[in-house]
Amino acid sequence: MKHANRLAVLAVALVLVAAACGSSSKSTTGGGSTSTKPTGQQTLGAGEGSVSILAWPGYAENGSNDPKIDWVKPFTAATGCKATVKYFGTSDEAFNLFKTGQYDVVSSSGDATLRMVADQDAAVINTSLLTNWNDLDPLLKVKPWNSVDGVVYGVPHGWGANLLMYNKNVVKPAPDSWGSVFDANSPYKGKITGYDSPIYIADGALYLMKTKPDLGIKDPYALDDTQFQAVVDLMKVQRPLIGEYWSDYLKEQDAFIKGSLVLGTTWQITTNGVQADKTAPPVAAIIPKEGSTAWSDSWMIDAKAKHPNCAYMWINWITKPDIQAQVAEYFGEAPANLKACTLTVDKNHCATYHAGDAAFYGQLSYWKTPTAKCLDGRTNVTCKDYAAWTAAWDTIKG
Amino acid sequence: MATTTIDPVNVRGGLRRRLSRVLYQHPRLRLALLLGGPIVWLLVAYVGSLVALLVTSLYHYQTDPTGLVPRLVTSPSTTNYQRVLDAGVYRTVAFRTIGAALSVTVIDLLIALPVAFYMAKIARPWARRALVVAVTMPLWAGYLVKGYAWRAMLDPAGGVLHEVFGHSPGFGLSGTVVTLSYLWLPYMIIPIYAGLERLPNSLLEASTDLGAKAGRTFARIVLPQLRPSIVAGSIFTFALTLGDFYMAQIVGGTTQFIGNIVYREFSANLPFAAAYATLPIVVMIVYLALARSSGALEEL
Amino acid sequence: MSSGAAVSLRGVTKRFGAVTAVAGVDLDIAEGEFFSMLGPSGSGKTTMLRLIAGFELPTAGTVLLKGRDVTRLPPFDRDVNTVFQDYALFPHMSVAQNIAYGLRVRRVAKEERNRRVDEALASVRLDEFGSRRPHQLSGGQRQRVALARALVNRPAVLLLDEPLGALDLKLREEMQVELKAIQQQVGITFIFVTHDQQEALTMSDRIAVFADGRIEQVGTPTEIYERPMTQFVAGFVGTSNVLQPAVARALVGRDAIATIRPEHIRIVAVGAEPDADEMHTIATVRDVQYLGAFVRVRAETDEGARLVVDVPSFTGVGADVALGRRCTLAWSSRYVRAVGQSSSTNTGGEE
Repeated sequence: MKHANRLAVLAVALVLVAAACGSSSKSTTGGGSTSTKPTGQQTLGAGEGSVSILAWPGYAENGSNDPKIDWVKPFTAATGCKATVKYFGTSDEAFNLFKTGQYDVVSSSGDATLRMVADQDAAVINTSLLTNWNDLDPLLKVKPWNSVDGVVYGVPHGWGANLLMYNKNVVKPAPDSWGSVFDANSPYKGKITGYDSPIYIADGALYLMKTKPDLGIKDPYALDDTQFQAVVDLMKVQRPLIGEYWSDYLKEQDAFIKGSLVLGTTWQITTNGVQADKTAPPVAAIIPKEGSTAWSDSWMIDAKAKHPNCAYMWINWITKPDIQAQVAEYFGEAPANLKACTLTVDKNHCATYHAGDAAFYGQLSYWKTPTAKCLDGRTNVTCKDYAAWTAAWDTIKG
Repeated sequence: MATTTIDPVNVRGGLRRRLSRVLYQHPRLRLALLLGGPIVWLLVAYVGSLVALLVTSLYHYQTDPTGLVPRLVTSPSTTNYQRVLDAGVYRTVAFRTIGAALSVTVIDLLIALPVAFYMAKIARPWARRALVVAVTMPLWAGYLVKGYAWRAMLDPAGGVLHEVFGHSPGFGLSGTVVTLSYLWLPYMIIPIYAGLERLPNSLLEASTDLGAKAGRTFARIVLPQLRPSIVAGSIFTFALTLGDFYMAQIVGGTTQFIGNIVYREFSANLPFAAAYATLPIVVMIVYLALARSSGALEEL
Repeated sequence: MSSGAAVSLRGVTKRFGAVTAVAGVDLDIAEGEFFSMLGPSGSGKTTMLRLIAGFELPTAGTVLLKGRDVTRLPPFDRDVNTVFQDYALFPHMSVAQNIAYGLRVRRVAKEERNRRVDEALASVRLDEFGSRRPHQLSGGQRQRVALARALVNRPAVLLLDEPLGALDLKLREEMQVELKAIQQQVGITFIFVTHDQQEALTMSDRIAVFADGRIEQVGTPTEIYERPMTQFVAGFVGTSNVLQPAVARALVGRDAIATIRPEHIRIVAVGAEPDADEMHTIATVRDVQYLGAFVRVRAETDEGARLVVDVPSFTGVGADVALGRRCTLAWSSRYVRAVGQSSSTNTGGEE
């Protein structure tokens, strides 16, 4: 027993050390800066029998949440690739998990894609191996958040806005502005929520872009020192209003159902979940008059994927019109494959979510990784990069 | 006439027997075979990762106005440590985390002492076995399951505590401390229970026999004897709380601990995450040093 | 006996569930007496001690200390102290702190406390050991610390629970002498629990022999040894030949259970005759053990009774007791004692 105790003490100390240690860092270089254009995998071989998928909740449903919602098992039946699915809650989590090299394929939002490319985690995609490439919305293909210098790293999946959800019983009158979550005198103090990620700073930036034109914000992801300071100050005003931040959408769903949260940013899937619960108070989710931050997601393949063929097969499967229709309706987003629009149960789905609507698409501010080189094209100033956003988020949460 | 005799010194025997004999004759070789594997594992997994952590913490990122991402500078500098010390938020979060770890430890100790005493000294054998199972049972349930169960307990809008007692600490620091106290309680009870089982009943009887009432017997005899167990249990509760970050996300409302910041910075600024992650290690080393200087570790 | 008794037990019974550990014990222990409770393990002697100390509450009956009913009082309110079988020294305290513990609890002033601790250390010849920790002491030294820790409080009664059990033979014999000397010096009533009949005989003023939760016999060592009242006492205290009525009728002409000690039987030398007033029988030697001071012979009579005979070594019986030899065993009738049927189902037997 004496020794057992001493070993236990040692083990505790070591576990702590181990827990604090991540994998060692890779050297980072700018992705895609080689002179000849890389082309990625040349041919699509036989499936490797399994594939490991890292996905946003709702993107790779296998019936475990709702037996009727399942497009993973049919994929396995069709391709022989046994799929294991891991969900993540934030882009940072996706980045950290994908970095481990345990996942073949990931659904990555615009605020993580370039980091994955820069970290050399993402493979170049050979679009000639993609069966649905030509049907995907041109608004989403070969864009700055899923390609570098014309080299494709991500295959569009779908897009949507971050919405403002509110409890219709409590929040009266109905809000129409993001100002409702930044109002220091809000009567809903302590029952407001925000997204627990540095990228949520962009929501404050978007609000100031529309309400404080003097700051000259053109792009919520391209903030110089002065602009950034103004946004951080706003987020600090918001902090005491927040009951809890969320990164796990189920936590937010639960809190809205119970009523401990009544107002704040959300995803359509969360709203759907609240509305499907019979005990929940009535809620609505809107795009406020300032517009919204939004996401545009792409599938990426690990540069050292163990099951690259199955990964391609998964991308081909998940971009098929019928599957796209299922995912888009379940998650509540605009599909990337516009052929899905004729296959949705709700025939107005694509219209509701403005799929293919270039004018609407342009109004939203899609998640991007902030970089020092200003994303809005300014060259006379340096912008705050994602590390600075993260440091600021540490301070905002306090 | 020659007779066959067995010369015990020169018996050749099979390879195994010869190998065993070599081992018998060379105690150091024996020791090397016994501990070689674990030591290599310890060096690589623990010392190696610790060194990697410390080395990484000396790197830093430099803003690159032209590139996609900041440039990693590998020449050693104390930039990250400077930031830990300079930015008030990292001190605040560190003190909050250490405070939570101490609170959890004290709460668990106050609950564990009477429970473990009842288990070890009063309960009948069947009740004792049942209690050991009951105390360790929560360890079988998933961490997240317990986290969400505590959401249901703490929820300020219709949670169990609110319904039953009319008041709930809600989601926040105190809710997180309560939840973590629940989570780590078995790690405090079990060593104290083991310590009390080792404590002869005759010591307690001798104390009462010499005129001491329960309070003095507890303070003068039981507590000093239990110190190694209490220190062992507190190392668990303290270290586990110091390293926890997920409960702060589930029931913490807006609360963040050291681990939340390390996890967040891990993807944005790995060297800084490494530098901040050395803080709990330093705290733990100080904690163990204090425990050692109090003499509690010698008796383990 | 009742007046001036240090401890009086009246119908004391203790049951643990279905097990009766002590069954209706009545006993008076006089002041200043060295009193032993002797019995095999499970006979209830230790439970009896714990009932007097207050570690257990009796199921029925009354415990009186100097005439005062203490039956329901906790240990800290009883004027007794205990020396435990495992000594129960506090490992985290020095020897002096251990001894001072009871005085500290009773708020004895520091100066007097120190003086009494020093006295106590001197009385057990451990003057130089006050600052040691218990684990730095030998078994005998720990035993003396335990004694000092109890005696320093000057209790009315000192309870000792097999205190010498863990010591080796030599040390045990020394401590027996020392304990007795200390008891005579301090004049405190000692109640001494042991399973070692030799120890009880050596040290005690009186002995109570326990079996199955009852007292078989109370008496001085001489009474207990020489005039055992029951078959159990005869068998348990020293060695006895216990003759069942049928054998007894044949050998000693008594129609009851009869006992005779091995040292009271002699082997008649070949060629000699038993004395006229002696009883005798013919037996065959079945076993011979050399035990130093005497030789233990086991012989079987023609009637089939097995008898143990102790022959002093100096008599040099030698060749007469070779295995298989037939010999004459003789004894005086005054050493034959008829005993009652024991209340115990335990027949004692050879120690």
